[in-house]
Amino acid sequence: MISPAALTRRAAPVLACIGLLAVWQVASLVLKNDSFPTAIEAIRAIPDILGDKESLINILASLRRMAIGFGVAVIVSIPLGLLMGRSRAVAAFFNPLLMVIYPVPKAALMPIIMLWLGVGDITKTLVIFLGVSLPVIYHSFEGAQAVEEKMLWSGAAMGLSPLQRLLRIVLPAALPEILTGCRTGLVLALITMITSEMIARQSGAGNILFNALDMGQYDTVFAMIIIVGAMGICLDAIFERVRARLVRWSEPQFDMPLSFS
Amino acid sequence: MKVMPSRSNEWVRPLTSQKPASAIIEIDRVSQVFQTSARKDHLALSDISLTIDEGAFVSILGPSGCGKSTLLYIVGGFVSPTSGAAKIKGQAITGPGPDRGPVFQEFALFPWKTVLGNVMYGPRQQAVRAVEAEAQSRALIEMVGLKGYENFYPKELSGGMKQRVALARTLAYHPEVLLMDEPFGALDAHTRTRLQNDLLNIWERDRKTVLFVTHAVDEAVFLSDKVVMMSNSPGRIRQVIDIDLPRPRRRNELLLDPRYQKYVVDIERMFDESDEAGPAS
Ligand SMILES: Nc1ncnc2c1ncn2[C@@H]1O[C@H](COP(=O)(O)OP(=O)(O)O)[C@@H](O)[C@H]1O
Ligand SMILES: [Mg+2]
Repeated sequence: MISPAALTRRAAPVLACIGLLAVWQVASLVLKNDSFPTAIEAIRAIPDILGDKESLINILASLRRMAIGFGVAVIVSIPLGLLMGRSRAVAAFFNPLLMVIYPVPKAALMPIIMLWLGVGDITKTLVIFLGVSLPVIYHSFEGAQAVEEKMLWSGAAMGLSPLQRLLRIVLPAALPEILTGCRTGLVLALITMITSEMIARQSGAGNILFNALDMGQYDTVFAMIIIVGAMGICLDAIFERVRARLVRWSEPQFDMPLSFS
Repeated sequence: MKVMPSRSNEWVRPLTSQKPASAIIEIDRVSQVFQTSARKDHLALSDISLTIDEGAFVSILGPSGCGKSTLLYIVGGFVSPTSGAAKIKGQAITGPGPDRGPVFQEFALFPWKTVLGNVMYGPRQQAVRAVEAEAQSRALIEMVGLKGYENFYPKELSGGMKQRVALARTLAYHPEVLLMDEPFGALDAHTRTRLQNDLLNIWERDRKTVLFVTHAVDEAVFLSDKVVMMSNSPGRIRQVIDIDLPRPRRRNELLLDPRYQKYVVDIERMFDESDEAGPAS
């Protein structure tokens, strides 16, 4: 049985979506602007996009770049963040570097990267990589720093070497924090993915969106916005499932309010 | 069993009076200086010398901040002393090792491992076969009274249960010396009493060497063969007192024993006197 409270909690996001669409619909009808289609018009355009082979190839290309950029970023950033968290020397070396990169919008680097690497997949994947890296490094760093010293001492007394302690104590102990960083990274991957395709058109979901914008197909533009939003929600929900499973053992953290899972 | 001396200061001997043949840990003129934030040096331990016999239960007793933990960490190899040296079985201590098993007040369990996973961690690290490690660990978990909790995660346990797991986890890799830093300090009085009793029962079975840090006089007397009294600022050894009470000890008998009561009262009085004399006097 689902309790009334649980039912309300589950229904809330759905109701919020319906509410948003309703406001949109009304606003569009009132404003009567060509570049602002109604919600129903936008939703009607979705099947056309998803039924079109060309569009699907574009969207899949986007997702592939995003997956590679995100995956490589996570693989590089977690060890780097953990090392920074456990070694002052490593932190002292990388901190200034990261502080320089941190406030720069990653998309602003695109024109330069394009000069070096062209407008293809590598450039876009690299921008996604940069966008994902920072939050993952930061959270891994914080997580590693917070590991209780006595836990490491207990491991040392059992005979774990420094490397073993990093892999078998620091990594699992910091995992809840690391995954929080990865979750932020996932959303940023989606954002940088679309931005990169806005700057370097050629293929991808952003390509469909901005081409439609150029051609004045506003229902397609808004349909793409819905599709991208839905992708974000789905990816986040999947990630949240995995995260909850991996850190079942950890003390309950604050609930992440933006979750649909 | 020895006859109780009539005057209290007869069993209070200065530390240097004996050098037993079966020493397992030797602490030789250890001092520890910490750099405080104000760029001033803080002498946490001053010229500590102490010998611990194999199989003895030795408590380090003193007020908060007198350097008890620091001394224990030096023996554990987690901290290296500013000067002086500590040895185990004649070998200089240069780092942590499985011959010295720590049990901390903060438990320091691995939260991502179950009770069984925590206890098996040490044996597995020492390449004991999984089947064997598991069987031994299950037996240990039963011994510390946690049968049925093998698959619980630390977050699902109370403080007393966590400390039982921590003890089992350390016993599992068979350290020759147990290093316990106020292990029951974070527990409520009732739980503390039960864990003291259980620790004593376990210890009386295999008589491992135990170095036990506490600030509770009754706890030190109840458990120990020897109580090392420390004083504050800088941390020094005041006195080493042999606790000549029969074993196995039963709490209900001991609390009524005038000899036990006398130890507690005398030690408390000595601390009171030093308080009146003021620090560093
Ligand atoms: N890492 C450290 N840095 C600076 N001062 C320390 C450090 N560890 C302990 N101290 C200081 O040394 C003294 C003894 O500490 P500690 O060994 O923890 O005492 P106890 O365990 O008896 O309470 C205290 O004054 C404490 O503030
Ligand atoms: Mg202490």
